[in-house]
Amino acid sequence: MPSTREPRPIAVDRVLCSGHGVCAQTLPGLISLDEWGYPVVSGADPVDPQDAALAIKLCPARALYLR
Amino acid sequence: MTDILDAIVAAGLTGRGGAAFSTATKVKAAREHRATLIVNACDGEIGAAKDAWIVEHHLHELVEGAALVAPGRRPHVRYAAHRGSRTAAMLHAAGLHVLEAPHRYVSSEETALISLAHGGLGRPMTKRAPFIFGGRDSQGHRIAPTLVLNAETLWRISQIHRNGPDWFRSFGTAADPGPRLVAIGGHIVRPGVYESAAGVTVGELLDLAGGLRPEVTHVGVGGLGGVVLTAAQARTTIWDTAGMKAHGGSMGPGLITVWNPAECPLETTARLLDYAAGESAGQCGPCMFGLPALASDWRRLTESPRPEGAQALLRRVALLGRRGACAHPDGVARFATSALTTLEPEFAVHAVGACSARRSRHAQYA
Repeated sequence: MPSTREPRPIAVDRVLCSGHGVCAQTLPGLISLDEWGYPVVSGADPVDPQDAALAIKLCPARALYLR
Repeated sequence: MTDILDAIVAAGLTGRGGAAFSTATKVKAAREHRATLIVNACDGEIGAAKDAWIVEHHLHELVEGAALVAPGRRPHVRYAAHRGSRTAAMLHAAGLHVLEAPHRYVSSEETALISLAHGGLGRPMTKRAPFIFGGRDSQGHRIAPTLVLNAETLWRISQIHRNGPDWFRSFGTAADPGPRLVAIGGHIVRPGVYESAAGVTVGELLDLAGGLRPEVTHVGVGGLGGVVLTAAQARTTIWDTAGMKAHGGSMGPGLITVWNPAECPLETTARLLDYAAGESAGQCGPCMFGLPALASDWRRLTESPRPEGAQALLRRVALLGRRGACAHPDGVARFATSALTTLEPEFAVHAVGACSARRSRHAQYA
């Protein structure tokens, strides 16, 4: 299990993602949605571990993960 | 006896399936993780033919290459080919373990083959980590460590084993060493698979197959994930990593398709983009919705070529990169961008209600 302490970039499992769009709310500024509601992740910078953990937990498709 | 891994390192072999990744790095990781081997002989790209050619003419060396790379005393090797293809029949006839991939463009992609080998549907998987280490698919099913190498890559390994790295490096350039196969097809006298190496021009490669005919206007390099060159560009572009990169492409899976000059190149592109959209596995939203939208944007642009249309297309393309489990959308984005750039003069001709293909057709039958 990778440690959640160290900031790491967030990624979307595109097979699992079904465009609920919750991540755009939990990670505003980092994730926006395209015209169909699928996330657009801006940049590959590490994300604050607490923010990332919450976004991962709240994704209904369980599609977010740390790289 | 020298280790084959050292020989591969010395030879500087890179994968011949399209990604051109260091083969030594993959083989080393496969050994460390005791990965099983899948030989990709699918000829997955449109116009690809070299894998079939190797299976037909050099099967013994292909099998030898696989045995050199696959770890363990009794290595487990699977040979992937499209279901019902001639390649699959030849592999079956040789008594090899054949992994029959469905007739879809993306089913020959590396992770799709790994999925199929693990009882999955043969669709690309999200690579949270390289599957050479083993891992899980998105649904949580365990995936054993698996190495996928292209058929030509393995054939080259057997040649490096037999002839040595110096022999290998005597072909091509320092940056892109080794002999490499190129499948040449389309509007050309002698379509087929030819042995060549980096460092010549694309035009010189085409000379192997009878040369560019005077009426030819455009040439596709690399298929659906490749680029479009004008005939003039093809004559001067160097067939190596740097030369192709200057046009946004790569040597890719080694294939060149001469476009039919009687068909409008904007229509040829439209047809290919329609096909690409239909070949999405429908798993990843950005690809499932983005590719059909791109194809219809292209058609709209060809019907009324306007700068705003081109801008819209480029915005669409920007949303395709790195947003799929596999690189199918990335490849199509590259192709569409290249077509938009190369065919710019063609759009200008269409904007005034003409078409250069129509003109050449008239000239041909006048």
